Amino acid sequence: MEKTLKKDAFAEWLKKLPSYDVYVPVEDDGRFNYEIVGNAGAIDESFTNAVVGPKKVVFPQREVLLRFNSTNEKAPEVEEVLPEEKPAVVFGVRPCDARAVTLTDKVFGGDFADPYYWRRRNNTTLIGLVCTEPPSANCFCTSVGGSPAGKDGLDVVLTSLGDRYYVETLTTRGEKVVSDGGKVFGEPAADDKKAAEKVGTEAAAKVERQVEGVNDLTENLRDMFDSPFWDEESLSCIRCGICTYLCPTCHCFDINDEVLVPVPLTGERVRTWDNCQFPDFTMHSSGHNPRPNRASRLRQRILHKFRYFVENFGDYQCTGCGRCIIYCPVGIDIVDVLDKTAAYER
Amino acid sequence: MTASVEEIRAEVKKLLDEGAVKYVIGYRNGSAGPFAAPAFFTGAGEADELVWDPTCFHNLARFLADERREDVCAPEAEEDGKKPVGVVVKGCDSRAVAVLLQEKFVDRDAVYLIGVSCEDGGVIDEGKLARKLGTAKVEKIEFGVDGGFVVTTDEGPIKIESADILDDRCVECRAAYPVVHDVVIGEQVDRKPEEPYGSLDEIESLAPEERWEFWERELGKCIRCYACRSICPMCYCDECVADTIAFAVTADTTADEKAQKIKWVERSPDNSENFFYHLVRAMHLAGRCIDCNECERACPVDIPLRLLNKKLEKEAKELFDYDVGFDPDVPSLISSFRDEDPEDFIR
Repeated sequence: MEKTLKKDAFAEWLKKLPSYDVYVPVEDDGRFNYEIVGNAGAIDESFTNAVVGPKKVVFPQREVLLRFNSTNEKAPEVEEVLPEEKPAVVFGVRPCDARAVTLTDKVFGGDFADPYYWRRRNNTTLIGLVCTEPPSANCFCTSVGGSPAGKDGLDVVLTSLGDRYYVETLTTRGEKVVSDGGKVFGEPAADDKKAAEKVGTEAAAKVERQVEGVNDLTENLRDMFDSPFWDEESLSCIRCGICTYLCPTCHCFDINDEVLVPVPLTGERVRTWDNCQFPDFTMHSSGHNPRPNRASRLRQRILHKFRYFVENFGDYQCTGCGRCIIYCPVGIDIVDVLDKTAAYER
Repeated sequence: MTASVEEIRAEVKKLLDEGAVKYVIGYRNGSAGPFAAPAFFTGAGEADELVWDPTCFHNLARFLADERREDVCAPEAEEDGKKPVGVVVKGCDSRAVAVLLQEKFVDRDAVYLIGVSCEDGGVIDEGKLARKLGTAKVEKIEFGVDGGFVVTTDEGPIKIESADILDDRCVECRAAYPVVHDVVIGEQVDRKPEEPYGSLDEIESLAPEERWEFWERELGKCIRCYACRSICPMCYCDECVADTIAFAVTADTTADEKAQKIKWVERSPDNSENFFYHLVRAMHLAGRCIDCNECERACPVDIPLRLLNKKLEKEAKELFDYDVGFDPDVPSLISSFRDEDPEDFIR
């Protein structure tokens, strides 16, 4: 289904979605984040991309898995806690981030589908926004199979055409939120589809960063496990969690019991984001750590994304959003690292 | 003006040529934009890649901690082990080294300090620059000839006044000239800020409830990536009380000891845990933080962490007349007691 939407009618559309948690990118001192805005709001024309992508909606940083409480020194009673069946709609999703969600789908799906993830995922509608300009000079989506106008993972896609959006619905979830909007939408003009396609093509040409020899990447990485390359590239790594926490495809988590009341024992079992760049991520209880230094941790980040994930799921686990480059406080640059693997003397 | 990059390169080249140092920690051009990045120079031939510009934000004293951890720079010959590590230090960075020396974390013989005087310059604030220039694409940032900065965008070079984009750490800088050093490049200057704690005025003027709201909002953004702790030159503990990512467990740690480890803070990024993490960290930096502001710069969600550390620096000054990081030979604030120390807060 194709429609158009006047930008000044955007808030009207939000008003037609009262049953949803509506997320819109909100600016705070130059940085954007998806926040629940109720029925007010618009997509800021200066929106680039959010610091944390829509990953936080389908895979929140903290999630309660179950509650426990024990009375009279009996064994604790356990209560399963699944996320509420509350629909959410996220506006202004960049194609790289939507595509990233399709990759986390693979991890949390398969033979052992994760009920917590899927309850949120199946209740979340992603409304894409085609990039008219690459949101950052460090975008490289076109190198890893994406595009500024990519549709993977999106339910609706909006393309900015001056004072209005060209609106394309891609799934039944998408059709629902568009039909809920009813008369706020208009019918597209004859050449709107072409104009929208042009926006995407032009933006793709402006993506400046490219990974050299990307087709040989996985093969090149196959015999680099023991290479001194990782020592050289990781010297300035400070072992923080920025690259992985902000990554739209990183999905590792930790599970802990949080005691709320010690006696009688009451608490929650929670899952929180975890990441392979923290030294204790692979710490064994014996004290042995198979990834004891920054070199082995950088290697893990690169190999997981460009070798293991390819072997397991047939795709790079990277959609080229550029966050790990933009926010790294010491200038570690995944595109540069990948480029160097191509030329590295093995 | 500022120190000349050629002079810094010549010094680094000489040190590496003579084999006087194991390696030198300095700056190179970043590959992902106009900002410099930390770099490790092991051969004299690499010295020409060294850069010195207003984006040399990083406090390279941070990397001295890795030298003591498992992460050494390169496999080395036995005689190399006794050589010092060369470090390029700005004034603020040299104060961090002074604290590390004072705390006996680093031996004076283990470092060769290549001081660089910031003179009347300093480093820029990325946020201020972005606000000033909007969407213009920045290609290069240089020191101006007569103060200020020259920023080259895709539309050409423009001159920007220092006051517009200078980082707050530099606005309130108390040591533009390195305090400990083996050599200094650049002119001796004695720069004193007009308002050394001016950036605290606004938050201090708020009522306690307003301050609480402010910090609830700011610390509520925290995603607990621990970048602030990880980039801090003072946060060198093997085991950190404020986070769960650095348990010092070894093969010799008994099951009993492991079971007894207290988890002081949960991983959940809610305000109870976020406050605990940030306030404990701030307290552990009282009398130790030298205001390099790297924590705030590293923060991906823009929490104004400098306010916490600056406040404690001010308390240390006003209560104990203690200045951090100027003299490695005086006792540290926390480990010393004087008869005239105030005690009216003890009730």
